[in-house]
Amino acid sequence: MSDEDDGGLELTRRELGAAAAGLAGASGLGFLGYRRLQPEEADAEEGPEVAMNPLEEYPNEEWDQKYRDIWEPDDSYMLTCTPNDTHNCYLEASVKNGQITRLGPSMNYGEATDLEGNQSSQRWDPRVCNKGLAMVERFYNERRVKAPMIREGFMQWVDDGFPREDDGSMPEEYAQRGEDDFIEVSHEEAHEYAARTFLELAQQYSGESGMQSLLEQGYDERVVEETQGAGVRTMKFRGGMPLLGVIKLFGQYRNANSMALLDNYVRDVSEDEALGAMGLDNYSFHTDLPPGHTMVTGQQTVDFDLASIEYADHIVLDGINFLTSKMADCHWLTEAKLKGSKVTGIFTDYNATASKCDELITVRPATDSALFLGAAREIMEAELYDEEYVRKHTDLPLLVRMDDNELLRASDVFADYEPADLEKTDAVADDADRPGVDVTDIDEQVITEELRREWGDFVVRNDESGEFEPVTRDDVGDDFDVPATIEGEFEVELADGSIVAVRTVFDLIKEHLTETWDLESTAEVTGTDPQAVKNLAQDFADNQQSTMLLTGMGPNHYANADQHGRAAFLLASLTRNVGYQTGNVGSYSGNYRMAYFNGVGQYANEDPFDPELDPDEPASTDKRWDAHSAHFYTNLDKPLKVDGEYFQGDSHMHTPTKSIWVSGSNSILGNAKGAYKIIEKALRTGNIEAFFTNEWWWSMTCEYSDIVFPADSWAEHHVHDITASVTNPFITTMPETEIDRIYNTLNDTQHYKGVARKLAELTGDDRFEDYWAFIDEEEYRAKPYIQRILDNSNAVKGYDVEDLLSDAREGTPAIIMTRTYPKHVGNEQTQDDQPWYTKTGRLEFFREEEEFAEAGEHIPLHREPMDATPYEPNVIVDDSDSPVVAPETPDDRDWDSQEKARDTNDRQVRNEVRSPSELVDTSHPLTDVDDGYDYVYMTPKYRHGTHTFGADLEEMAVWWSNFGDQGRKTERDSFDKRKPFVGEGYVEMNPEDGREEGLQDGDYVWVDADPSDRPFPGYDPDDEETEYTRALMRVRFQPSLPRGVTRSWMNVSQTSHKSYEAQQERDDGKAQSEDTNYVSMYRSGGHQSMTSTWLRRTWLTDTLPRKDMFGQNMDVGFEPDVHAANGAPKESFVKIEKAEDGGVNEDGEPGGNWRPVDEGVRPTQEDDRMEQYLQGGYTSESD
Amino acid sequence: MAEVYNWQIGREMEYPYPEARPERQWGAVFDLNKCIACQTCSLSCKTTWTNNEGQEHMFWNNVETKPYGSYPLGWDQEILDRLGVQEWGSDGVYDGDTIFEVRDFDWESMAMDDDPDTMHSEGIEGYIPEDEDWAQPNLGEDEPAGEAVESDTHIEEDHHPTWFFYLPRVCNHCTFAACAGGCPVQAIYKRQEDGIVLLDEESCQSFQECVRACPYGKSIYNPVEMNSQKCVGCYPKVEQGLVPQCFENCLGKIRMHGWVNQPEQADPSAPVDYLVHEAEVALPLYPQLGLEPNVYYIPPINVPTDYLYQMFGPGVEEAQETYRKARRGDEEYRKLRGVIQLMGSTEWRIEEFEVTEEEAIGYDKDGHTVARVPMEEPKYERDRFDDQHNAYRLDIT
Repeated sequence: MSDEDDGGLELTRRELGAAAAGLAGASGLGFLGYRRLQPEEADAEEGPEVAMNPLEEYPNEEWDQKYRDIWEPDDSYMLTCTPNDTHNCYLEASVKNGQITRLGPSMNYGEATDLEGNQSSQRWDPRVCNKGLAMVERFYNERRVKAPMIREGFMQWVDDGFPREDDGSMPEEYAQRGEDDFIEVSHEEAHEYAARTFLELAQQYSGESGMQSLLEQGYDERVVEETQGAGVRTMKFRGGMPLLGVIKLFGQYRNANSMALLDNYVRDVSEDEALGAMGLDNYSFHTDLPPGHTMVTGQQTVDFDLASIEYADHIVLDGINFLTSKMADCHWLTEAKLKGSKVTGIFTDYNATASKCDELITVRPATDSALFLGAAREIMEAELYDEEYVRKHTDLPLLVRMDDNELLRASDVFADYEPADLEKTDAVADDADRPGVDVTDIDEQVITEELRREWGDFVVRNDESGEFEPVTRDDVGDDFDVPATIEGEFEVELADGSIVAVRTVFDLIKEHLTETWDLESTAEVTGTDPQAVKNLAQDFADNQQSTMLLTGMGPNHYANADQHGRAAFLLASLTRNVGYQTGNVGSYSGNYRMAYFNGVGQYANEDPFDPELDPDEPASTDKRWDAHSAHFYTNLDKPLKVDGEYFQGDSHMHTPTKSIWVSGSNSILGNAKGAYKIIEKALRTGNIEAFFTNEWWWSMTCEYSDIVFPADSWAEHHVHDITASVTNPFITTMPETEIDRIYNTLNDTQHYKGVARKLAELTGDDRFEDYWAFIDEEEYRAKPYIQRILDNSNAVKGYDVEDLLSDAREGTPAIIMTRTYPKHVGNEQTQDDQPWYTKTGRLEFFREEEEFAEAGEHIPLHREPMDATPYEPNVIVDDSDSPVVAPETPDDRDWDSQEKARDTNDRQVRNEVRSPSELVDTSHPLTDVDDGYDYVYMTPKYRHGTHTFGADLEEMAVWWSNFGDQGRKTERDSFDKRKPFVGEGYVEMNPEDGREEGLQDGDYVWVDADPSDRPFPGYDPDDEETEYTRALMRVRFQPSLPRGVTRSWMNVSQTSHKSYEAQQERDDGKAQSEDTNYVSMYRSGGHQSMTSTWLRRTWLTDTLPRKDMFGQNMDVGFEPDVHAANGAPKESFVKIEKAEDGGVNEDGEPGGNWRPVDEGVRPTQEDDRMEQYLQGGYTSESD
Repeated sequence: MAEVYNWQIGREMEYPYPEARPERQWGAVFDLNKCIACQTCSLSCKTTWTNNEGQEHMFWNNVETKPYGSYPLGWDQEILDRLGVQEWGSDGVYDGDTIFEVRDFDWESMAMDDDPDTMHSEGIEGYIPEDEDWAQPNLGEDEPAGEAVESDTHIEEDHHPTWFFYLPRVCNHCTFAACAGGCPVQAIYKRQEDGIVLLDEESCQSFQECVRACPYGKSIYNPVEMNSQKCVGCYPKVEQGLVPQCFENCLGKIRMHGWVNQPEQADPSAPVDYLVHEAEVALPLYPQLGLEPNVYYIPPINVPTDYLYQMFGPGVEEAQETYRKARRGDEEYRKLRGVIQLMGSTEWRIEEFEVTEEEAIGYDKDGHTVARVPMEEPKYERDRFDDQHNAYRLDIT
């Protein structure tokens, strides 16, 4: 490359490029060490020649047509992005040559209106996020489920005629989920295999013989009894967070309802007696239900649109990492700040959201309940509470009998007391007289006369007259103006002449708080600065009706979640911060409020024996399906039982799980808490005989399924659908796609219809198929179903589906018609003086039910986590002599208390009491097993995925903090081949903790939880067959964490059999299955290797009054997504041990440090240059 | 020749070419108090422009956590270290060396032509990152500096003793672009109509001097196409009056795009000029490097000023104080609150804005309203019973 050769450069450009690409660590020299030449010909007087000044001209601009061509689409259309993040965005798809090339926001949210012409604003735009944009990659990727797939072993089992063992179970050799090949079949074949299976299961498990078979297989007798002898009751159906697509996802419950036709065919029962199948819950299965909300308010959850925070002077973010999980609504937060709102964060560490807070309070994980109790104590003692609100809206002034720890009844005190006629409550004679859920013209709460009698009316003391007065659930809000005594202990003469001591609920709570939760004790238990507790109390007291308390999945994912909720409500109620547009409590976790569409009964509960085939007529409803908590399925179908005694209510009893058909959910298996337990102990044993999944992306759930039905992606809606949101006021309807199908897929509902068609053939009952008459691609596209739902739902009645779709095509949603815009829960109670859905009609802090008495939980208190604590798990913290903190203890039961503490099942019903100072002297039983057990392990959600949606796209995966590397794809020389994928999972650890364990930042580590049941019960570390379940991942030194707290993000896809094998066998070492293309972002196991199912007595009562999921009916006991087992994903206490060095040496073997450590840029091990940089030491100001 | 006036450093400065400014200059303000590191901006650019083979490591837009994040790895530590400790005068004039000056290069002695033998870029301080330096765009995400976090950490101070913040970065379309100044074949230029700096991919000859010279790491080599590539300022959109992809898609609503002028020509009714020259809350990124970058940042109010001074120069403390005053609700800052709330609300470029008691309004160049946002989202209340539709409009249904 001579410098005399004029054309030299043009000729050798390719070589130049190739060599330049290979240059590493080039110094500041130009290529090949070209140096400046002194142009001898430069004229010193005129200055050097400037051939062209690129700052002011350029002769070759035509090249730039390239980017204009890339930009201009041929066409565009609107689609919807609806994972379980709650936001629901219209995205505009740009189309070129029939393919979507990119997505973007519709920028039309400012055009949204309601039926009255009220309009939203452009402050809502843009609605979009990183996952939504990356989704363009998901439509075309090799990971799509491209055709129906059947697992080879399952197909064999069906073809062999469903052979069974002696006890009737599925032989294990047919159950090799995770290992078998998948066989591609046609839709019709897939539907037929499913139909034949359902018929088989219904037959096999019906009648006495069916129940006998189940007993022989080892299922608990109550669980078997619950099938009522109907095989369809062993069949479970679930649409994953069904509000996200009412037609396609809640359609699984319609599916379950239609199985009454199958039961009718199989058993000798009349059409009226036939039972539908079981539906599994969602909100409560995800552990997103805040069970304390039901206990305090009697209904699902109190919340508000996140835009509302700007109306408050004080915004408190408790365990909600707003910046990473509520991204679309962050601007409301930052703009509220700009306009003067104070933001307080209560977190376990200096997380993303902490960086936006004015005040940051750090708490030990799961002790937020104690923090709130400590703050409540401050308020009660200093009398900073709002007396009027307390009197009118809470049960705090109600009197409790101290002889039996139950609320004093008016009938106890007043002779011949007749329960008052209630205007706000309708007591019907019988359950059969209750209104349906799909009625819009009632606003009374409906109970039975029996419940009315049982609940009775209550008593307060008139503080002015000293008299006792009855109070009904109608007497709330401004309809209650008795100056009721708030604090005090009295004696009452009962109607029968006896004298009984009574105390107000307030009095009982105050005693416990005063004696237990002084500032120092609160600080000791929570690890917090005492000043923070004072500040919190003062801020609540100073901002009455002006504080928004937002609680997130952090505190909700522990077993003490309900106590957390009760304590949060206590603090907020004392300061008039419940139920107002400017002051309220909100729990944020998933998009659950299916009740916005209470008319869904028209769809899911349509009478399968009499489907309405006139699209303009409403359906007649007859609900045949029932629900139970999916936590029992993850608990291997075992009830909560200790030493032969049941600790769950009858209404919560589940049935054996012989089949599951799920749509749109990876959380049911692939990312379930205790996923490996389900895989090893329920699926690969053959206990579960059929697992069918509808998916458009080959997830880990698909890896372990028997039939994978290929679903249309969100770019390919051929059937319409609708959704709403708990965090924004918009109704989002799905318009039709404008591209051809990419693969051989169908809408979920078309799969239900296809299976129904086969069932119709097998049984001769056409009603199976008629049931799905309005599912097609040409004419109806589900619109009649949608319109029926709209017509019968309080919040959307009046909307026409065609109008909604017309706006949807512009990317404009409609506005939901609840009481206000933005919406919030509590108007009825604070503005209209309606009762809450509790026995007393008030916010309830006293629970008189026996399950609560037994657990010692009459009043709000703090219990230690079930596993995630350095201290003794699950103990009640109390230092008072309170008569209402009196649990049934192991002593009372003659149990070995220490043994029960060690056992992860039995511990759940072990009630011991410790004072704060006693507590901090205790230790977790695992510390006796191995002194490495030292770390609480949390699994929250992050910004690079929505659950597992999107997290494993290459362009997302590279953003997973420190361990992204596109070299995994480009196979760059210096690449670490151990890396499972472009991004990988990791555990975050305080750097000092890490060093104490002998770790270096970036090393690979093993993470192990309780060996007795994780990664699954019976796990043997020496068994090679199951070593894929043990968690191996990078450790990341994260100085935001205090000591003793560790964390992995739960969005990351986990190890399957095939991904594990692929790592060993593929040349490139990628954790990608050769046949299914499934990718794991862990080398082994995953975060769910450390999690499990957890249950609590107080979630499983038969007595808790609550509103049904839909409509105004109230009842007691189990209700899916309202009062049900709730799980506790973050309950995990682990040890972390080094597996391998983070770096690779020249031989490509593990050795040395992960590169950034050696570059000197890592926190706590910075080199001098980095230190200087951190101090701002490269610039100074002269004087 | 080659003395230009750089107003950000308050003095004349060495540069390979004579001073020349475009008719209009593409500019931006990012409010770092609003950035949430959601990376929607990064994905919008990636999925629009850089999702081809050879571009896997390429992010024209990235968001890095400061101080422990950097993409490419260590880019700002590296250039600051190469410059050494430098001083600002108390009069706001930069007394130290820029990247065009630190090598003490005699620009006068060289012909500024497109003959690569001349290699005029040698006078510019810079370095070429290693391949692995591009591998982890999000290294350091959410990692704080400062005091260790303890179980009783309780922060109430204005400046968090434990802190991090997010820094979204794009090409700054610098007035004195080092890439343009350094390209040995003069394949990088500024458009006259909007000041966008473009790299002519057809004329690029893979010297990677732009990669070396750009201190911000925003010229990136594509080993498959065998040319370097850089942010194109979304000129196909800008030509239509639209804002760039990373601005439209910014979910945090932190970005304002518009024309930026020198101080003497500043138009306070234009949003970028207002924020930079009138409110003076928006500051350039590492102005001491000397490129007169045209992306300005409102510094985060919770971060200590020592670090921020190094990054944004003098004016940091005043900018933080102004933002705090705006928070306090002073009438004087209503316009500032309004324009910050206007950010992100429209896909169209705002050339003029106004703020009333109730609203902030943005107009395009023809005076059409393209954005109208209320200062407080309106509240509507409906009747409990909607008799037209026979429905109780309940919240709990």
